[in-house]
Amino acid sequence: MKLSSFRYIVPQAFKSMFHNGLMTVAAILTITISLFLCTAFWLLIINVDANARQIEDDVRVLAYLSEDTTEDQYAAIEEEILAIPGVASCEFVGKDEGIKELEARFGGVDLEETLGGENPLPDRFSIMAETTDDVTTIADKVSNLAAVDVVRYGEGTVEKLFALTDTMRRVGVAVMILLALAAVVLIAMTIRLAVMARKKEIMVMKWVGATNAFIRLPFLLEGIFLGLFGGLLALVLVLLAYVNAGDYLASTISFVLVLDIGQVWLNTLVFTLAAGLLLGIFGSLFPLARFMDV
Amino acid sequence: MLIQTVSLGKKYKNGIVALYDIDLSIDYGEFVFLTGESGAGKSTLIRLLFREELPSSGQILISGRSTMRLSKKDIVRLRRNTGVVFQDFRLMERSTVFDNVAFALKAVERPWDEIKKRVPRVLERVGLAGREQENVMHLSGGEQQRVAIARAIINNPIILFADEPTGDLDPRTSMELMELFNEINEQGTTLVMATHDKNIVDTYNKRVLTLSAGRLISDSVGGWQL
Repeated sequence: MKLSSFRYIVPQAFKSMFHNGLMTVAAILTITISLFLCTAFWLLIINVDANARQIEDDVRVLAYLSEDTTEDQYAAIEEEILAIPGVASCEFVGKDEGIKELEARFGGVDLEETLGGENPLPDRFSIMAETTDDVTTIADKVSNLAAVDVVRYGEGTVEKLFALTDTMRRVGVAVMILLALAAVVLIAMTIRLAVMARKKEIMVMKWVGATNAFIRLPFLLEGIFLGLFGGLLALVLVLLAYVNAGDYLASTISFVLVLDIGQVWLNTLVFTLAAGLLLGIFGSLFPLARFMDV
Repeated sequence: MLIQTVSLGKKYKNGIVALYDIDLSIDYGEFVFLTGESGAGKSTLIRLLFREELPSSGQILISGRSTMRLSKKDIVRLRRNTGVVFQDFRLMERSTVFDNVAFALKAVERPWDEIKKRVPRVLERVGLAGREQENVMHLSGGEQQRVAIARAIINNPIILFADEPTGDLDPRTSMELMELFNEINEQGTTLVMATHDKNIVDTYNKRVLTLSAGRLISDSVGGWQL
């Protein structure tokens, strides 16, 4: 294959895409939708994962005090807590402070007004453990204290989140395979049409002694272009959607951790374009092998 | 010997036998008519000779080499040394005369500078000088066949196969085209032409191979044999 031949081959691929019209649009859109869904799903998974990890790393134990605890008991309770091995620090959070914190986490809603002027929150101690390993033992010991009503730490939440990401991964893989198949089939149909439309030219090329590579390359390129265009479109859409969804989440439920776009854009770019490229190659190789045996 | 067939046979998948035991040889520079009624096997033989189809039995040797055991590279080389012309021209309808002919050079990856020089030269040879930019669909049948011939000979093939090239043309245009084929042959290209036009065969004093029901029934010089 001569380099100068690409002057024929590349425009030929574009001409054929244009000639195929609606089929080209359908193929590109299928690739776009498939890759958009796959990438969006993957972004969702890594974000849930990041949240689970953050909770896992949290060394806080919250000890909610029973309602009949009086203010003069607080100092003694604090001392008892600080005496437990592995406790790094202990901070008292009164119910008024507690509700303000909560209001801030939900994006500045007036909770007290919503709840009819009543604050249902109990007073609590916020305990920091020295390491995550100490968290369970500390929680156990704190819950044995008479004044402590309920103890909360990341128990169960982490496991639930990891189970969720696990399920999402499995469903994700199945969905990805189905979508990829659909995309490959559509590319294959488009390339097949392109081959049919140029049957006569292919025959002439054969008769005059064009090489297999020269005959097939425009079609392979057409498939690759379809894949890359679809991938590029999916990339733009998914990044736009990510930024918007991230902003929305940050303004409504601020305690949810949303990974910054700077942390995900490169992987997203590589994934969408590489997947588009592969889909394009596979999609065009099938019809070329089947319909163009020279 | 340029072309040689040994017990060449073709049986199609549907059971129809198109050719039985064809033994023939054609030398460099010959002009050979392949005649016979419709369905006698002329087109099948041509298709086998330019390797559009493979025989079911026997051998075809081109310059002493069997065409059945060629590598992809050798198939490409063989095709660059053979030209083909059909009854229905098989041109790219939406393209110009220039593009149709240039396509044969582009396909074998000749540089653009060379293409620009060679296309007008071959068009002059087939009598279409200055017609480069015309759309092929605006040409007469005879002119369209000239474009097809230009496309077939632009790579200077050693052999030119023509399958009923005048089949769709009136007698006068046919004769004009025959003059062109004769010239191409006189310039050294071996010509194998399938035709059932008795008038043409009788006019030219060439070697005539006659097929009937898939068998070669005569090999003589000059005149219609059936």
